[in-house]
Amino acid sequence: MMETTPAVRQDQAIDELAFDAALAQLGEVVARLETGGLPLETSIALYERGVALHARCARLLDDAELRVQRLVEDAGGALRAIDLTPDDPDDEATPSA
Amino acid sequence: MSDDRPWERWLRRDDIPTDGPPDPEPPPWAGEPARPAPGQPAAGAVPRPRGESADAGGETERGLTRRSPSTSTRPGHSASRIWTVGDVTRAMREVVRGAPAFRDLWVEGEIGQVTVSAAGHCYFTLRDGRSQLSCVFFRTQRLGSPFELRTGLRIVARGRLDVYDAAGTYQLYVESVQPAGFGDLALRFEALKARLAAEGLFDAARRRPLAPSPRLVGLATSPSGAVLHDIQHVLRRRWPLVRVVLAPCQVQGDAAPPTIVAALGRLARWRDPGTMAPPDVIILARGGGSLEDLWAFNDERVVRAVAASPVPIVTGVGHETDVTLVDFAADVRAPTPSAAAELVVPSRAEAAATLRAVRGRLDAAVERSIAGPRLALTAERRALGRLHPAAVLAGERQHAADLLDRARRAMDGRLAGDRARLDRAADRMPLLVRGRLARARADLGSTGSGLAALSPYATLERGYAIVRAADGHVLTHASGTSAGDALDVRLAQGGLDATVTSVRDSA
Repeated sequence: MMETTPAVRQDQAIDELAFDAALAQLGEVVARLETGGLPLETSIALYERGVALHARCARLLDDAELRVQRLVEDAGGALRAIDLTPDDPDDEATPSA
Repeated sequence: MSDDRPWERWLRRDDIPTDGPPDPEPPPWAGEPARPAPGQPAAGAVPRPRGESADAGGETERGLTRRSPSTSTRPGHSASRIWTVGDVTRAMREVVRGAPAFRDLWVEGEIGQVTVSAAGHCYFTLRDGRSQLSCVFFRTQRLGSPFELRTGLRIVARGRLDVYDAAGTYQLYVESVQPAGFGDLALRFEALKARLAAEGLFDAARRRPLAPSPRLVGLATSPSGAVLHDIQHVLRRRWPLVRVVLAPCQVQGDAAPPTIVAALGRLARWRDPGTMAPPDVIILARGGGSLEDLWAFNDERVVRAVAASPVPIVTGVGHETDVTLVDFAADVRAPTPSAAAELVVPSRAEAAATLRAVRGRLDAAVERSIAGPRLALTAERRALGRLHPAAVLAGERQHAADLLDRARRAMDGRLAGDRARLDRAADRMPLLVRGRLARARADLGSTGSGLAALSPYATLERGYAIVRAADGHVLTHASGTSAGDALDVRLAQGGLDATVTSVRDSA
């Protein structure tokens, strides 16, 4: 079997990365590739990873939808978050200006 | 008003010199203690008719002051005529009404006795160490007051001074009341600022940098104001990748500071269920308002909570010109709530531009790094081609061209549709190649990347091997080796460490 390189092994995690983490990793990939002198196999694996990271970033930018939640504290002091529908001027419990 | 204006005659008769105005400076009633009024202020209406007499008892026959015209220091008039009581009262009223300072004045003092009539009007006295002043607070104004008057409170009352004929008293007709000290908010602001600054709460060194790209933004503001809407709008446009967690609080009034402190505390305690991380930053925001409206953000408890927050805080309170003490204690002060939202997140447009630039570098870098191997591969393929039937070789060439096409498309980022192109290309392939290609295509998986095709390993899938000498260079001629040399044989799946047992020179 062809050994699994770290780059390949991490592929699954790319879809979990936050934008800044994915962009940072993409920057590292590019920096390594630009250094040169890598075995072809490594170059290709890096490039594939770079493409996947790029796709992750692009998808996050294109598809993201703002999510707003509201903290609620129960009697015991425990916090939980409930979704706030967009621009729902919620709440009569805490009146203010 | 009566046509009979004896005071005017008096004034004329006294031939007031131009340097001595009819209203002596200071007016005789100013700065002079009124006679202590043990009972209620005079009830009943003053210039306005009123339906009831509010006070029971305590009504005393009070002289206006000791300074009736007959006891004035003004010389030469005292015995010249006999005044009626009404004359005196009306004269006083005219004088009082004629003094601009009395039309709108602020009086600070402690509230003495308070009586509220059945109609809702409030009568009270304001006093300081030596004096007291009767005050009337009519129902309409009183219901708009932020608090109920009660004995012992120190307040600043704003209103006009007038004379109540029936009782012969002057009274303050109150328009509004505020707790004492609100009149010098600026002084209190500066005093608290100086005190907290001396403690180091506002030191620049305390300010923390903000995360360049927060994942979770805490928001402490009113859940019902326009501010929440505005901030959401900015974040949705600028960086919708962020998540927002709102901790509602009141942002105005005496009750607001504890709710703000509690909201900041909840946000700092909050852990995102996914990452178990606290918010990366907290926005503390409020829309514009008067200095009094914004006063909760000058509250010492709030300022201290902001300074002590474990999570960096960005304030956006009021308008650009408004400065509150929390602004000094915050890690970053934004001029408005919307500006605070702009400030905490990166720009999607800028991020997209950065991403494009990095992608360009990625493609250029991989082009450079595969240029050498690709040349070697071409040479290898040429050598192999000599061993194959011409028909297959033609197919291989076409395939190679196709691979390079696909590589370029991959470089362009136009990956969509690759699979369809691959299928069309396969239709043009000789059957022999098509079968192998199908296997290669399966290996491409679903990534959509054309890179597998760019790799020389796609060729290996067709049964070829790459043989490298110990120094890593690709062998194309047997003559470069001798028995005993170590070789690295690269196969489609894995590789071999091999040793040359003998060398066959070919023609």
